[in-house]
Amino acid sequence: MNKIYSLTLTVLLLIPLAFLLFFEKQPEDTPPPQSSSSLSSVSSSAVSSNVEMKNGVQYIYIDAKGGYSPKKTVAKAGMPTKLVMKTNGTYDCSASFVLPSLNFQKILQQTGEEVIDLGTPTAGQPLDGLCGMGMYNFEVVFQ
Amino acid sequence: MKSCTLHISGMHCASCKILLEDILAEQPGVNKTTVNEKTETVLLETDGQKSPQELAQMLTNAVQQHGYALSEEKRTLEKKEDDTLWKALPLGIFFLVLFFILQKSGVLDLGIGGKTTPSTAFLIGLIASVSSCLAVVGGLVLSLSAEVSQEKGSPTKNIILFHGGRLFSFAFLGGVLGAMGKAVGINFSFTAILGLIASTVMIFLGLHLLGILKKNKITLPSGMFQFFKKVQHKTLTPLLLGFGTFFLPCGFTQSMQIAALGSGSFFAGFFIMLSFAIGTLPMLSLLSFGSASFAHSPYAPLFFKSAGVVVVGLGLFALLAGLSGLGILPPLFTL
Repeated sequence: MNKIYSLTLTVLLLIPLAFLLFFEKQPEDTPPPQSSSSLSSVSSSAVSSNVEMKNGVQYIYIDAKGGYSPKKTVAKAGMPTKLVMKTNGTYDCSASFVLPSLNFQKILQQTGEEVIDLGTPTAGQPLDGLCGMGMYNFEVVFQ
Repeated sequence: MKSCTLHISGMHCASCKILLEDILAEQPGVNKTTVNEKTETVLLETDGQKSPQELAQMLTNAVQQHGYALSEEKRTLEKKEDDTLWKALPLGIFFLVLFFILQKSGVLDLGIGGKTTPSTAFLIGLIASVSSCLAVVGGLVLSLSAEVSQEKGSPTKNIILFHGGRLFSFAFLGGVLGAMGKAVGINFSFTAILGLIASTVMIFLGLHLLGILKKNKITLPSGMFQFFKKVQHKTLTPLLLGFGTFFLPCGFTQSMQIAALGSGSFFAGFFIMLSFAIGTLPMLSLLSFGSASFAHSPYAPLFFKSAGVVVVGLGLFALLAGLSGLGILPPLFTL
């Protein structure tokens, strides 16, 4: 096999590899990012469907199993917020859960819910959640 | 007594000097050998019964299974070897693509609910052995087995010791976790750092398999190598490596460790972790014995080079993912 042929084949194979590793299908339930929204008054429609208000506390629900879903969540800034990690027979890496910015590390129960207090997030400081080995992640954007 | 100098092709590191001197000194009619790794020559003191040409032929027969050849004239790098690299590169990347397609397909996200019993642990082990855990544990097994298979002697003993050490450590430490109960926590950063070390080792071994380290001559000093060689040939080394895989980062392993912690007794934890390790065994032994059986086939160079591409790819993936897991890098991958 000559060099040119091999390199062409390599590059052709690297494209799907990069696609597999770095690109994500656009989830349907994520609203389009609202670049023009002001910080003081965010309309409730800008918040993702996995965010719920209860007794003045904002709950963000994330499913952890074979990765995290939804991958991107839009939530409100400036109010008490809790993150609820839901597991259901989760044995893979997504069970070993890390929030690097909060120094939070925990191996989640195989099935159950883990409620993590996020305090009062400020706008423009997104929260990244990862599995311990770093191959699965999700992001919460506060506006 | 007669001395003669022969050229060596296929040398790539200080270790070759030691290996070659060992083998050549064992040959009949050879009294003393001094390998010069800089000039890639060997100075032989012989009984003088053979011509240099005959000598080169005889000694080449003795060392060619290790990838060396001796000749009177200095040989230019064989073109055939380069060709293998160009075949191995797309082949290795092809396997990486298959592996990540499997990860992304969701086939592995089987729902196994309820309490963790030894039989579910076995199933989880089967899944874990083809999951992203394979990036670290499997990559390490592949690169280490490929390395030992390229050396002289039978790698089977080392491979069996490695898997034995792995099964034993999982069962025993699982039992310890079960006996201790909830009192201990497993430190994430510890396993993460261990994972980073493992992935760095993988990248180096992979580059070595590819023969890239050979060109730059990034090698250990001879004395240090002697030490490693000594350690490497101790029975204990593969056993301890197998033992160490208990602590390598793998979500499945960590879930099982938690299940063992919650199991309440030494034996419950023992059997959960043992069945999990047995579940991972088929895939891991395929990787290790597979590379051992390829070592003496005509496809050996292609196999080891492709394995090198796969191992470097998995090592880079595990390293970058591990760095983001520690919060050092932003999240990169979206599997």
